[in-house]
Amino acid sequence: MFDGLLLFGHSIASFARPTTILYALAASLLGLVIGALPGLTATMGVALMTTLTLTLPPSQALLILICTYVGAIYGGSRSAILLNIPGTPASAASCLDGYALARQGLAGRAMGIATSGSILGTWIGMVALALFTPILGEAALKFGAYEFFWLALFGVVISGNLTGNDPLKGWLAGFAGLFVACIGQEGLYAHDRFTFGFHDLSGGISLIPALVGAFGFAEVLTVIKDRPPKVIINTFDTVIPRIRDVTQYWRTIIRSGLIGTGIGIVPGVGEDVAAWSSYAAARRASKEKEKFGKGSVEGLMAAETGDNACVPGAVIPVLTLAVPGSAPAAVLLAAMLIHGVQPGPLIMVQNPQFVYDVVAMMLFASVGILIYGLTLTKVLVKILQVPQTLVMPVIFVLCTVGSFAIASRIFDIFVMLFFGVVGFFLRRLNYPMAPLVLGIVLGDLLDKNLRRGLVLSDGDLSPFFTRPISFVLFALVAGTILLNVPAIHNAAAAGWAKMTGAFRRGNPAA
Amino acid sequence: MNDDHPRPVADLLSGIVWLVLAIGIVVMSWQMDRLEHLKVSVYSAPGLLTGILGISIAIMGGILILRSIRAGALRQMELPHFNPRDHWRLLTGLVLCLVFAGWVVGSGVPFWLAAALFIAIFVFVFQFEDRRASGTLPRGALFAVVYGLICGAAIQYVFQEVFLVRLP
Repeated sequence: MFDGLLLFGHSIASFARPTTILYALAASLLGLVIGALPGLTATMGVALMTTLTLTLPPSQALLILICTYVGAIYGGSRSAILLNIPGTPASAASCLDGYALARQGLAGRAMGIATSGSILGTWIGMVALALFTPILGEAALKFGAYEFFWLALFGVVISGNLTGNDPLKGWLAGFAGLFVACIGQEGLYAHDRFTFGFHDLSGGISLIPALVGAFGFAEVLTVIKDRPPKVIINTFDTVIPRIRDVTQYWRTIIRSGLIGTGIGIVPGVGEDVAAWSSYAAARRASKEKEKFGKGSVEGLMAAETGDNACVPGAVIPVLTLAVPGSAPAAVLLAAMLIHGVQPGPLIMVQNPQFVYDVVAMMLFASVGILIYGLTLTKVLVKILQVPQTLVMPVIFVLCTVGSFAIASRIFDIFVMLFFGVVGFFLRRLNYPMAPLVLGIVLGDLLDKNLRRGLVLSDGDLSPFFTRPISFVLFALVAGTILLNVPAIHNAAAAGWAKMTGAFRRGNPAA
Repeated sequence: MNDDHPRPVADLLSGIVWLVLAIGIVVMSWQMDRLEHLKVSVYSAPGLLTGILGISIAIMGGILILRSIRAGALRQMELPHFNPRDHWRLLTGLVLCLVFAGWVVGSGVPFWLAAALFIAIFVFVFQFEDRRASGTLPRGALFAVVYGLICGAAIQYVFQEVFLVRLP
């Protein structure tokens, strides 16, 4: 415990330099603007910033990326409250009560609630990051090939199940991502797979260009295909958060923070699910259920706390298992690898300081959003009024530069274009992008560990099911899939109702 | 075909695409070198996972096809009428982006100039209707050029000079 505090203090001290603070503030601001502008997502922002920070030292580059990530998730609330358009998918839940408050002339109060909820959510997630990363890291040391195989599969299956509204399409996207990751030389014998004689494909499909395409170019196409609506912004009061809003809903804040962090830890699920889950839980527990959707302070607080708590939560599996908890965390993982940081089960053994560096980065990001949350409201309103016809071509140029910059290959620009066009049509057909991304990230892990596991057991499949952690992960994968079969789902629901009914009858006081 | 509820026929077509893709993956995985001449275990053959993925995608594609048929895809089999005029914004944007990134970039044109041209044309084209309606076309053209030049130069400066990132 004290070792952790000492390492955290060391991290704070190492970042408390003018240049680093300037980077943190600039990145938080940029993230906030990216998040606030509808059509620009946190994933795209972090991916573009990865390319911009290639030549910086790892600690400064990752500080910039984390500040961009936190800033973007927070920034999404601005357009949700002022325009009723979620700046990022994570802010969709904030539209319900945020915009309702704005229409009552309380946009300033709503922004204050979003600021306090986001900061407290980040702090709850930060504490969890500091506490759970060493524990999960230790548990991850017990993972072998069989466990990593199921973990990778679980990530894709649960992400496909939760991130869209059609699990079948989510899984298809996820499995397509896993296949994309297999293109190029495989990791065990350097044998070319699906390269069709193209040398450029031998190196595989790089994650960043694919992500920039799927989240950047596809978004540019999505935004420009329709004539943008006229931006009408409600008047707003003071944006300074009220202490009473925090003290009155402290239970909601803690509950939402824990839910957000927990959902962040689950591979590939992400901030939007965290926000909706926190919102739903707050509604269930609230004494003012009727206010939800009509300008509930509690509802907005829950959504904003939940999505920002998810950010540190999503970083926990990145650090301990090298498995991302969300799409932006997938980019963060790629950035760590580019900068020579090797996350995974050994991180607490080889580089414990880095874990606390990340916690300190989260703290700097939260300070950044506090400063801008209180001061930049009017400027942000002006930025929200910038026509999208001016923003989108610049974004596309950045997508092009970003794709090229990673490896200085023109081929990567074509990868970006391909994933942009395919991503655009897949989105139109209701296929979520997060499982696709997670599939690309986890494909290598799945491939190597399946083959390693089979070689170790000489083709015997039983270790995949009989080892305790393997069995639990297998059960989660199988359960997630089977619960989507209507007959099994209905039977499970009936069984659950019967069980809870019997419990209630047995405990009349409950 | 909208974001939330694509028509069943769209699902049917995408299901067929998945199925065809998956069959291709399975066949190619089966035919892939198993590296037996290197005495590699059959369990670590390079095509093992891709084959399993292909089979999984084929099953899911099949389910998607069946589901769309049950939802009435065959009753609405006529393909949606595509009028390019209705989609001019998307098509124009797509062509501009593809020409810029796929052709102009890397062709020897200085990056700042290519970016400036792309941004200027993009802005002018997508503001054309509004500018014409308000009678400010020349002003719009001048604005687009100046905006393009400023953005092109700024992007080149920030990436190349400040952050030392190579540009195409």
